[in-house]
Amino acid sequence: MEEFHSGDEVSFSPDEASNVVKECIEGIIGGVDYSQNKVNQWTASIVEHTLTQLVKQGKPFKYIVNCAVMQKSGAGLHTANSCYWDTTTDGSCTVRWENRTMYCVVSVFAVAIAL
Amino acid sequence: MGETPTSNFVLIIKHDTENIECQQRNITENSAIYSPSRFWACFLRCKMQRLGASKIVQIDFMPKEQVTYSKETQTPVASDQPEGKELFYLYLIINMDIQLNSGFTHETNLEEENAQEAEEGKKNHNQPRELTNEEKEQIIHSEDFLFFFDQSIRVMERVLAEDTDIFFDYSGRDMEDKEGDMQAGSNLSFNRHFYDEHWSKHRVVTSLDWSPQYPELLVASYNTNEDAPHEPDGVVLVWNMKYKKTTPEYIFHCQSSVMSVGFAQFHPNLVIGGTYSGQIALWDNRSHRRTPVQRTPLSATAHTHPVYCVNVVGTQNANNLITVSTDGKMCSWSLDMLSQPQESMELIYNKSKPVAVTCMAFPASDVNNYVVGSEEGTVYTASRHGSKAGIGEMFDGHQGPVTGISCHNAVGPVDFSHLFTTSSFDWTVKLWSTKHNKPLYSFEDNADYVYDVMWSPVHPALFATVDGNGRLDLWNLNNYTEVPSASVTVEGGCALNRVRWASGGREVAVGDSEGRVWIYDVGEQLAVSHTDDWSKFARTLMEIRANRGDGEEEGALELPA
Repeated sequence: MEEFHSGDEVSFSPDEASNVVKECIEGIIGGVDYSQNKVNQWTASIVEHTLTQLVKQGKPFKYIVNCAVMQKSGAGLHTANSCYWDTTTDGSCTVRWENRTMYCVVSVFAVAIAL
Repeated sequence: MGETPTSNFVLIIKHDTENIECQQRNITENSAIYSPSRFWACFLRCKMQRLGASKIVQIDFMPKEQVTYSKETQTPVASDQPEGKELFYLYLIINMDIQLNSGFTHETNLEEENAQEAEEGKKNHNQPRELTNEEKEQIIHSEDFLFFFDQSIRVMERVLAEDTDIFFDYSGRDMEDKEGDMQAGSNLSFNRHFYDEHWSKHRVVTSLDWSPQYPELLVASYNTNEDAPHEPDGVVLVWNMKYKKTTPEYIFHCQSSVMSVGFAQFHPNLVIGGTYSGQIALWDNRSHRRTPVQRTPLSATAHTHPVYCVNVVGTQNANNLITVSTDGKMCSWSLDMLSQPQESMELIYNKSKPVAVTCMAFPASDVNNYVVGSEEGTVYTASRHGSKAGIGEMFDGHQGPVTGISCHNAVGPVDFSHLFTTSSFDWTVKLWSTKHNKPLYSFEDNADYVYDVMWSPVHPALFATVDGNGRLDLWNLNNYTEVPSASVTVEGGCALNRVRWASGGREVAVGDSEGRVWIYDVGEQLAVSHTDDWSKFARTLMEIRANRGDGEEEGALELPA
């Protein structure tokens, strides 16, 4: 039999995903200060962990995870995104996180796999 | 015929009796006979119709505001010929004036010859070179001239407005005709009023303060003039009691209505205003600008709600500006740096919602503990530092928003600094002690919202109240506690919004809702305190407390003998 449930319309739950993302971020850059030589590792691990956690949920989605870490230096940053998809089943969630020295924005997009 | 094969796909099977066997084989090998592309195409086509655009997700990180401020100090400049320059400017003014009026024709009674010689002689010696119009324009617009002109017009205005009686006879012979002692008889007499046609018309007086350094200076703040949308929303005027001129000493304005104003106690040149937008504005009378020289930022670290209370507390070397806004935020600022508060605190009672503060007062010589009145009618004590920082006790008693609060601040043999009075929309004024949660006494002589109350700075049992009927009342608790000892209704009957005693305790300033500030003189018998007033008040207090023991606030109180 298939791994996925057939016939159910599963829709994306942004709250669940946002919790997953927050835990990942806390776990990786929770209490540390911005460091130029480590930030690459951080973004890579955040993206990786988030993705594995989401896939582990076993839902029939394709995921796109994007992570941006910006040092707090007094500059402003503005981003926006929009998608054209099936609004009933697909969804996205964006999590903003900050500490004393940096900002972190993680966006997760989930596109339902059609059966 | 054969078993139904288990397969993962929905199949469209072509029955072909000739080829069944091969078909079965084909099927078990999982090679489909359906055409996949056509299947997916029609499936997708159904799905396409349900696609739509999602909401736009935006993330913003605001840049940090760069704040720069600079302080200048200047050593005193020793100027060589100040008089010379001023004389020159005066000559210039006179010169131009004469030119306009009559030219240089000089008519004398001397014989023509002598006249001519004299004229020529005079012209040669006295008449300096005539300046061209451009040179005159240049001088008139120069910094020096403007400064001189600004200083001189103030002096001229004061002189022209004086109308002292030069025939006054100090021996008192003239006074015999007049009725007795007019001055001493009236307890509350009108002195003067301040009103500016341009700047204070149609504006409500929102706050008043007397200068601690120059007792004749009074600052008044005004809110928006709805009839003049192009004028600045907030106006602050400094009035001078000493001279009879009717124009303000200084005019300041800012873009948002000023709700509270005060002279900075330890900085004689600064005026601080709290505005409707939550910004604190600072004006300096040394600069020529009418707009604030410093302003606090409009940010969540400062205030975002109207600031109704500003107060400078502390000592000469260690002072802070305390401001409280109606969202319960208390901020403490240093006057040198208004770009961010030194400390800020949310005033929350009992861990529930923040207190909507409408008025605040510090008891005399206390920099840590203060009392605040709120929109809900409750009064709270609060402290700035310490283990109990934030809201302390709650005092319940008023049935309407508290409009004014005043701590007892007359200094004398007995300490009454635990007393404070509050005024409210519920038509009453209540007397409290910080030691009891319920009011000690309720004054119910008013027939309208009571807008403000203030203790006299010199008399222990005297305080003033103003209400919406235009009434100014002086209550002397050593005389009567049920009715005011002196009362006057202001001309015009406009609602009076603010009352402030002058620091000597002999004058009272009231601001009304039409932009007028009225100054009343308080008669000696009422205003000046005698040494036994203190002990008398202590006895009055004891009686009040004794009668209050029943819990009835409206009961008749025995008048002290």
